[in-house]
Amino acid sequence: MKGFELIKKAMRLQEVERIPWVPFVGSHAGELLGLTATEYLQSTDKIVEGVNKAIELYNPDGIPVAFDLQIEAEALGCQLAWAKDNPPAVISHPLTEGIAIDDLKVPCACKGRISMVLEATRRLREQHPDLALYGLITGPFTLALHLLGTDIFMQMMMEPDKVHKLMRFTTNVAKMMASKYIESGADIIAVVDPMTSQIDPLSFETFVTPCVTEIFDMVREAEALSSFFVCGNAKQNIEVMCQTKPDNISIDENIPLDYVRDVALRHNVSFGGNIKLTVVLLMGDEEASRRDALECMDIGGKKGFILAPGCDLAMATPKENLMAVAELVHDELLQGELRASEANVGNIELMDLSNHWDNNRVVIDIITLDSSSCAPCQYMVNAVSRAADDFGDKVVYQEHRIKEVEGVRMMATLGVQNLPTIVIDGNIDFVSQIPPIQDIKDRIAACLAAKQQ
Amino acid sequence: MEELFSKLADCIEFGKIDEVSPYPPNFKGQTGADEITAQVLAKGASAQDVLNNALIPGMEKVGVKFREGTIFVPQVLMSAKAMKTAMVHLKPLLKQGNVKQKGTFVIGTVEGDLHDIGKNLVAMMVEGNGYEVIDMGTDVSVDAFVQQIEKTPDCVVGLSALLTTTMVNMEKIVKNVKEKFPHQKVCIGGAPVNNEFCDKIGADNYSADPQGVVDFLNTLAS
Repeated sequence: MKGFELIKKAMRLQEVERIPWVPFVGSHAGELLGLTATEYLQSTDKIVEGVNKAIELYNPDGIPVAFDLQIEAEALGCQLAWAKDNPPAVISHPLTEGIAIDDLKVPCACKGRISMVLEATRRLREQHPDLALYGLITGPFTLALHLLGTDIFMQMMMEPDKVHKLMRFTTNVAKMMASKYIESGADIIAVVDPMTSQIDPLSFETFVTPCVTEIFDMVREAEALSSFFVCGNAKQNIEVMCQTKPDNISIDENIPLDYVRDVALRHNVSFGGNIKLTVVLLMGDEEASRRDALECMDIGGKKGFILAPGCDLAMATPKENLMAVAELVHDELLQGELRASEANVGNIELMDLSNHWDNNRVVIDIITLDSSSCAPCQYMVNAVSRAADDFGDKVVYQEHRIKEVEGVRMMATLGVQNLPTIVIDGNIDFVSQIPPIQDIKDRIAACLAAKQQ
Repeated sequence: MEELFSKLADCIEFGKIDEVSPYPPNFKGQTGADEITAQVLAKGASAQDVLNNALIPGMEKVGVKFREGTIFVPQVLMSAKAMKTAMVHLKPLLKQGNVKQKGTFVIGTVEGDLHDIGKNLVAMMVEGNGYEVIDMGTDVSVDAFVQQIEKTPDCVVGLSALLTTTMVNMEKIVKNVKEKFPHQKVCIGGAPVNNEFCDKIGADNYSADPQGVVDFLNTLAS
């Protein structure tokens, strides 16, 4: 199972066979095409091409159509400063420049770049029927901030009714965007509201909760799924975010994933995140990316977790790092090896093997992920079993599964680095590839001959 | 007088601007920073006393609570507004008197970056703690920082960035500034920045929150 079906399963908190993976590719896809953010985020064709490129490279289960939280603001009259290597920034706030809230109208979906991302959604839907397409909309609080600027923080305290009125308006905009995205083929509506990380739970409940709850209810009625994204340290609000009943919440590295897991699952909400965007994905290498992703996967687990970067990928994120994560996601064997090598690095206690060896018999240790779930492991164990048959009680063999602590310790003690591996009398003889049975027999015979001398 | 100072410190801590301000609800109908500052000055307190005994202690509590995550941006802005209201009374007195500020802090969001919430919070908190703050705004170039340092050679420079792409410009600014002024202290902050990055680019200090900047400045000043 993959794509939307897998994500749906995760969002419904059912056990999955593989953790779904959703790289938050926004303007980064522009970089993949050699374009600036300005060129990329203003062209339907380029967005479709860029997302396709990302799908080809990163083999995801789901992907955003576009990651740009300025689209609605622009349609509402905020001025944007465009940049080469970033999504644009809002630089003017109409409500502080003489425009009254009553003058603002929910924009037509035909306006500005809204029609562009909807068209991109339709085309991508047609090209990728099984992939989960995320329609990202600007969260009502962040949009309110675009419209009013930072004055909103004090207005919340001094003139709360005005803020409620503004939030009513931005919620209407968000609902329009959500319904249009769903009509165009998006499977998941992600309400991206990073500015909520700046407020306390009480203010969140007062101003944000009624609005986003209404949006998530609407998405549910339209039989789509929803996710609530916050970038930034919003630890204080995870609980109240879950109470707004999204199908999923997604967070960045500012919040510990285990904390989010515990809170989200307690509320029956799935969760996602939080591979480190900057120090790992942007500035680190493939190895660091794999390790960080694995750590997330091990914390997240196979129930209700979606692996994703913390937020919009920095444009210059090396594609090799994301490809390394993609490879890891789809290769359980690689996950096992990495986990075991991690253990090697840590303070794992090595085993005393002095009683393990035998003067009269050949001892074979097979290090596997688990032969019941990993096909190459199974073939390797079978091969040893068949090779050993001819030698009767002169050979003892044993599988060590690194899913268990004992297996990891044995792997470290024997110095094994890849899975699966056959170790005969302490020698690493066959690594990764399943050898012909005759080769194993020859090794056993040679070891026996050595013992008999 | 002590009692009034303590009441004023509370107004700063909890963001009570003046008598008519509806915030915070539990201070309703009471006088705020505006009235109490006027009152203590009328009673003969010096501007320096008001700063040291009420405003700075109040602002310090705000900084600590923000760091500990018990209050957030809206509450800090209310406190800053209360502080500013009090400063309206003090500034003319501070200017004519021989009041010693603790130092000068030059702050700006780096080139290419237009975000200012974090920078403004730091500026307010530092000012509230008795420093002169020169706020250069957003999208500030290397040259602008260099020119400012030439004008205020004893200052400490603070750089802010919100974006992963503009944090790289911090490196350029730190390098250039240190080349021209080897002893110039530069501190950095912002969402994508951390200690590791600070060491890498040769800045002197990284703070995760405004109070950290105040602590750093206080260490240098002492």
